[in-house]
Amino acid sequence: MAATTKTNMQLVVNGLLNENPIFRLALSMCPAVGISTTVANGLLLGVAVLFVQVFSSCTIALIKDHIHQRIRIPTYTLTIATWVTVIDLVLAAYLPVAYKAMGIFVRLIVAFAIITMRLEVFACRNTVTASFWDGIGMGFGFMFGMVTLGAVREVLGMGTLLGYDVLGFRPMLFFVLPAAGFFLVGFMMAMFNYVETLYNRRAKRGS
Amino acid sequence: MKEIIRITIALTLSCLLAGLVIGTTFIFTAKAKQHNEHLNVQQTMLGLLGFGPQRPAAPELQLHQVHRYIVKENETMRMGYMLPARCSGGGPGYVWVELDLKGEFLDRHDLVLTPEAALSADDRKKALAGILDPGAEADFADTMIIACLGDRRTAYLLPGEFPGFKTFIKAMVALDADFQLLGLEVIEHEEDPGLGGEITQEYFKNQFVGKSFEKIKRLTVIKEPLPADYERYLKSMGLGNSGLSESEAADIRQRYKDQDIHALTGATISSAAVTNGVKAMVKKFAYRIQVLDQALADGDVKVLF
Repeated sequence: MAATTKTNMQLVVNGLLNENPIFRLALSMCPAVGISTTVANGLLLGVAVLFVQVFSSCTIALIKDHIHQRIRIPTYTLTIATWVTVIDLVLAAYLPVAYKAMGIFVRLIVAFAIITMRLEVFACRNTVTASFWDGIGMGFGFMFGMVTLGAVREVLGMGTLLGYDVLGFRPMLFFVLPAAGFFLVGFMMAMFNYVETLYNRRAKRGS
Repeated sequence: MKEIIRITIALTLSCLLAGLVIGTTFIFTAKAKQHNEHLNVQQTMLGLLGFGPQRPAAPELQLHQVHRYIVKENETMRMGYMLPARCSGGGPGYVWVELDLKGEFLDRHDLVLTPEAALSADDRKKALAGILDPGAEADFADTMIIACLGDRRTAYLLPGEFPGFKTFIKAMVALDADFQLLGLEVIEHEEDPGLGGEITQEYFKNQFVGKSFEKIKRLTVIKEPLPADYERYLKSMGLGNSGLSESEAADIRQRYKDQDIHALTGATISSAAVTNGVKAMVKKFAYRIQVLDQALADGDVKVLF
């Protein structure tokens, strides 16, 4: 893949829809399935991923010419781990309230496939600016996926939304469990594919 | 060959660079982080005793910290307690008491240690170095906090940690003078968010509140759904907006007083870890404090609690 020709805005939309990390790329499924049990959990993990992705993408884009080809992946992992640790330390020191809510999410991120993958296919071939916007797009795309899954699972599994009781009963407890996460991701993927097929068909007819 | 050397150097350099960045951040943030953690613990302690922004603590409330050590000397072991006491000048100070493994009183020394200095592990070590025999080694075991109003012990606060689903869970337990459980607070954990992470929820933690010492000794986890009225009561405990009348709440409290702990959905291991952790902490503490009190009476040691 050569350097991107997309504009910044296209990069963001690309992360949100065309290449949505969860529904299109099917990456980082463990956290997506494990943690998207409520909207709040999904949102917090999304914010954490957004920051780490943007910082890591920019760093790699900045030093890409100095990375030895054979040790790309270890370098990426090292970069992500460094940023995760730094964010963890800074949050703990200066934003104790945010740290209390987000601490456990931040520490989970080191092993996320989506971040390593974006560094490998995008950041190491593009400028810092493009990588920044790609990071933003991917981060928001991940957040969007997590919040969507979280909303459905919270309402169906616990009968609440954002912690407020909306149904008054728990329709299907099953949806809180990880297995239901997989079903839901499957449904969402199918939906994304269906929309894409419709869109392509219409585009073809138009031409 | 050349390639491998270049790779080695590149990797080493990257690691050093990453280490440098993390190290620098650590140096800049360590102090603020420690301060936050200290504040957090203070708040947790007062919260467990039922104080908060709405209900400030009584000014005469004293939190006495007792530090327990294991002393090793020539293959033998004994216990060492660092206890707050009035020093010879009349001001607050610390006294060092040693017990053998059976709990018999052995020896006592006065320590040169102010209550502020006693908060730091390094200063405590320094003070101990002055009085221990050469060849003896004191390893810090744990700290317990005794809350007193005047001469009366009102509560014990036990910070502790126990293995959770993934790593250690740090928690604090509050007991009243009869070892009845006043409250449980999870300070730090890395359980999975949404599953084991739910151990921080009020409806889980509050299940422990009010359990008698006799019940705690036999406490287990049951895999039954939380009854609706009990859940409502647990969620609103201490908030006073449950919509339950005084008598209804008392009725629920009475009914579920001897109930075991309902496991969290999808997180039985985390639930059992907390239950067993709390059980072990309380049992050990109750034994230790009784032994300590007896030994202090035998040795005629006057302490502040």
